[in-house]
Amino acid sequence: MDFAKSLARPQAVAVTSRPRRGISLRDILLHGTLIFFCAIVILPLAWVFLLSIKSIGDAYTGSFWPEHFDFSHYGYVFGHIPTLVQNMLNSIVVTLSTVVLTSTCAVLAGFALVHLRLPGRALVVSLLVGSLFFPTRLISLIAIFEIQNQLHLINTIIGLILPYVTLNLAISILIMRGIFEQISPEIVDAARIDGCGSWRTLRSVMLPLVINGIIVLVIVNFVTAWGEYLLAFTLTNDQAVRTVPVVLASAFGGMGEWDWPRIAAVYIMVIVPGIVAFAVAQRWYMRGLLEGALKV
Amino acid sequence: MATLRTSTAQPAGALHIGWQALRHSINWLYLVPALVFFIGYQVYPIIQVFLISFTDYHYLRPGPAAWVGLQNYVNALGDPLVGQGLLRAAAFTVMFLPGTIFVPLFLAILVDRVKNKRLSVLYRMILLIPAVIPGPMIFILWKWMYDFEIGPINHLLVDVLHLFTFRTAPQWLGNSALALPAIAVMEVWWGLGYHTMFFLAGLASIPHELFDAAKVDGANEWKMFWHVTRPRLQPVLLILVVLRFGSAMAVIDEYLIMGGFNRALPTYTWTVYMWHLGFQLGDWFQGYAAAIGWIGAAAMLVVVVFLFRIFRNRD
Repeated sequence: MDFAKSLARPQAVAVTSRPRRGISLRDILLHGTLIFFCAIVILPLAWVFLLSIKSIGDAYTGSFWPEHFDFSHYGYVFGHIPTLVQNMLNSIVVTLSTVVLTSTCAVLAGFALVHLRLPGRALVVSLLVGSLFFPTRLISLIAIFEIQNQLHLINTIIGLILPYVTLNLAISILIMRGIFEQISPEIVDAARIDGCGSWRTLRSVMLPLVINGIIVLVIVNFVTAWGEYLLAFTLTNDQAVRTVPVVLASAFGGMGEWDWPRIAAVYIMVIVPGIVAFAVAQRWYMRGLLEGALKV
Repeated sequence: MATLRTSTAQPAGALHIGWQALRHSINWLYLVPALVFFIGYQVYPIIQVFLISFTDYHYLRPGPAAWVGLQNYVNALGDPLVGQGLLRAAAFTVMFLPGTIFVPLFLAILVDRVKNKRLSVLYRMILLIPAVIPGPMIFILWKWMYDFEIGPINHLLVDVLHLFTFRTAPQWLGNSALALPAIAVMEVWWGLGYHTMFFLAGLASIPHELFDAAKVDGANEWKMFWHVTRPRLQPVLLILVVLRFGSAMAVIDEYLIMGGFNRALPTYTWTVYMWHLGFQLGDWFQGYAAAIGWIGAAAMLVVVVFLFRIFRNRD
C-alpha cells in the first residue's frame, strides 16, 4: 500500500516509458488497456456532443472535429420543435413520480422482508426473484394496454407512471433487501427495547443507515424511467403526451428543426442530467453498489 | 438472518399471543404498496395475456372474443415468421453473451489491480458512464453512429483508414448479416461498466492472501485466475449469464428503434413480430400475438431451467 502511494505521487499517471520507480511493462500494459477501454466508452459520447455544436455544414462532412462551431442549436430547438418543452416536462413528471413511488415501495418492502416477522416471506421473495427470469415487460404489454384502455389512461401521463413503477420494482426490492441485510438485527432489537415501533425504527434508525442503497435505487430507477421507450411508444400516440426518448427515436436527420446537430443538441440535453447526477452522487452510489446492491 | 426479533421475553397469555399474531399481520402493510403495483401491473397482466392467447381477440373488431382453444398456438408453431424470429433472437444472443461476460470480467481483473486509489475510482467512473444513460438513448446514439451519411464509424473506415470506398462501405443496420453483430457490439459497450462493477464486487470478496499464497507456490497469472479467481466468481457469473440470456432473447426496443418493422431485416425477431401483430397489423390480432409471446417466453424458460440445471450439477 505504501508502495502504491509512493508510486502514485510523482505523476505516475502519465505512463512514461522510464522504467524508474517500479513502473514496469506490466503497469504500462495494465493502464494502457484500461485507457483504451475508457476511450472506447467516451468517444461516442464526445462525438455526439461535438455534433451538437457543429455548424450545419460541418455536420455532414463526417469529420470528428468541426471547423466552425455553432452553439445556437440548443436555443433553436426550443423555438422550433413545437412539442419539445411539453415532451421534456412529460419526461420530468413521469420520471420523478416513478422514482419516488418505486423507491418508497422498495424501502418499505425491503425493510419488512429483512427485519420484521412476516408469514409468507419466502413466497414473496421467490415471486420477485422469479419475475427477474421471465420476460415480464414484453409479455405483459398487451394486457397492460388493455388495462390502461379500460381505465381511459391511454395517452395520459399517469397511464405511463403506473406501469413504470413495476419496471424495476422487483430488482429494487431485492437491492433494498440486500442492503437491509447488512444491518445487524441487534439494532432493531435495541430500538424496540427503547420503545420504537417498527415504523419509527424504519424512519429514524434505519433510513440514515441505508441512504447509500436509496441512492442506488434513485439512480437505477431514474435511468429506466427517464429513457423508457417500449411502454411510452405503445401507450401513447399523441406527440404532445410523449416523452423525449420516443420523440428522439423517431427523429432521424431530416430538415430544419430535425437537422442533425439540432437533434444532437436535444440528445445531449436528455443524457446530461443523468451523467451529472451520477457524477455528484457517485461516491455514495459506488458504496451502495458494494454494500449489497450487487449481491442480489 | 432468520433471527426472531422478539427476544424480550414476556408472560405469554392468550391475549398476548393474539396480539403478536395481529402485530405480525400488520407487518404486511409494509408490502402493500409494492404488491399493489407488482400484482396489478405484472402478475395480473401476464395471466391476462395467457388467457387472451386462447381467444380470437382482435382489438379493432367489435364484439366479444371467442375461445379458440390451442388454435393460436398451432398456427404460431407453423408460422415461418415465428420460427425465423426465434432463430434470429437466438443468433443475437449467441453473439452478445460471450462479449458481455468476458470483456467486463477481463476489465474487472485489470481494474482490481490498479493500486492507485484515485485512478481506480476514475476508471470505474468512466466505465460506468453508459450505465447512467437509459437504454433507448444508447440505441439512438448508436443508430446515428452506424449511420451511412453522418456516422463516424463509416467515416473512419472510408475517409481515414481507406478500407472501403463510399460505395462499398458497410451498411451496418441495413439488410445484411452485419445488423445483429452491430447491435451486439453496442450492447456490450452499454453493459461494460455495470458488469465490470458486478465482477469487481465479486473480486473484492476474495482475500488477497490467496493470491500471495498462490504466487509463493509459483502459480502464473492464468493458474491464479483459474484456481483462485474463477471458482469464487462462479456464482456471480452464473447469475449474469442467465439474466443476460433472458434479456437478450427478449430484446425489442433495440430492434424497434434501429430496424423498425421491415420483415427482411435481421432485426425482425419474434418480439417485433408480436408487437407488430398486436398493435399495428390488420385489426390488431392480439390473441395470436399473445400466443407468440407465450411461445417465446416458454422457449426461454426451458433454456433458463436447463442452464440452472447444468450449473447446479457442476457445483
